[in-house]
Amino acid sequence: MTRQQNISTYISRTAISLILLATTLLPAGAQNKTFTIQNDSVPLFNGFAVSFDLVGPAMQALGDYGEFEAALRINLHDQYFPIFEMGYGCAEHDDEVTGIYYKTAAPYFKLGCDLNLLRNKHAPNRLYGGLRYAFTAYNVDISRDDITDPVWGTTTNFAVNGDKCNQHWAEIVFGLDAKIFGPLHMGWMFRYKRRLFHKDPSVGNAWYVPGYGIYGDTRLGANFNIIIDI
Amino acid sequence: MTEDRLQISYTKPLFIIMRIKSAYDKSERQQTGIHIRQYFICLFPFLLVAIITGCSSIDCPVQNTVYTVYRLYDSDGIETTLGDTLTIYTTRRNGTDSILLNRSLNTKEFNLPISYNDNEDTLFFEVKNKIETLTDTVYINKDNYPHFESVDCNASFFHDINSVKWTRHAIDSIAINKKSVNYDSATEHFHIYFKNRN
Repeated sequence: MTRQQNISTYISRTAISLILLATTLLPAGAQNKTFTIQNDSVPLFNGFAVSFDLVGPAMQALGDYGEFEAALRINLHDQYFPIFEMGYGCAEHDDEVTGIYYKTAAPYFKLGCDLNLLRNKHAPNRLYGGLRYAFTAYNVDISRDDITDPVWGTTTNFAVNGDKCNQHWAEIVFGLDAKIFGPLHMGWMFRYKRRLFHKDPSVGNAWYVPGYGIYGDTRLGANFNIIIDI
Repeated sequence: MTEDRLQISYTKPLFIIMRIKSAYDKSERQQTGIHIRQYFICLFPFLLVAIITGCSSIDCPVQNTVYTVYRLYDSDGIETTLGDTLTIYTTRRNGTDSILLNRSLNTKEFNLPISYNDNEDTLFFEVKNKIETLTDTVYINKDNYPHFESVDCNASFFHDINSVKWTRHAIDSIAINKKSVNYDSATEHFHIYFKNRN
């Protein structure tokens, strides 16, 4: 517990550092460039980008859970980037040691806005900082067969099928986006997540939440995006 | 942790972020297009963090057993110690006895398991001294709820205690102090009052 608190404290410090970076520590000129629309010939609506994440499918292929995620990002003057992310998260785990079976699959949605933190907003590469509000509603199956009471010697089991759950959470994101050639960009997105509201399964806690990942394991997440800038 | 160390750990992430931003701004000023090497240098710490955070861990609380806690009190409501030898056992489904507490001396407090899914547990309290042996039967009526913590954690059952009944050879009374039985064993569930046999 203490270790988790330490990690949480460290991440909170990083988040505070990000905010400080974007607000107080930049020179006054740069700060203005960060937060105000520059007066130049670039139009306010400057196109959009669609992106696909590669980390989620890789996790799904290599493990028991993962996400398939795509995003639509609107470019406002190369400075502000309202973004809508949608994905489908799924997990199916049958633990060999504990004998517990857990299955869920559901879509999730994230809405937010990124800010281009670079001085030169119209450069081909971008450095993002942003926020997300995310939501998912999912059904979960949890079961365990043949639990033998070690003292009384009775055998029992439990199972819930299609238990309705939901979760709302917020994310602080920090990412890089580099132009490769033409409209093709590649980039990382690093996420720090905090749960806001939730309804857990009737038999206890949620283990995997679509879009959020394993609850309690870590609050960190990362995407590697293939981006088509249009 | 000293003030100096706090200061270093606070500014370190900020320093890394500023270095990345500085590298990006510099590449733009030079207008040299994409610096692939620089790009991967920038990505490297993130890749490292992703690998570290992606490592699996056992997600199970340290205190993950469910049992009941009994504390002994005298008639004045003060914690007391039982001078006699206390043995507690129950009968298993197959008819054999299972000892839960074996010949405990100077007992002040003890923990007992609770059945996973039976509606009522029957416990036998055997109180023995040099003169006699007295046996009481305690019946604990309860509701049972399966509990899922994580796939890494063994399935467990939580309980709500409805009532307790007992015979009165050595035991005077038993009071329910906390009805819910779960991973929290900091508060005793039962206050048990033995008859004064001095």
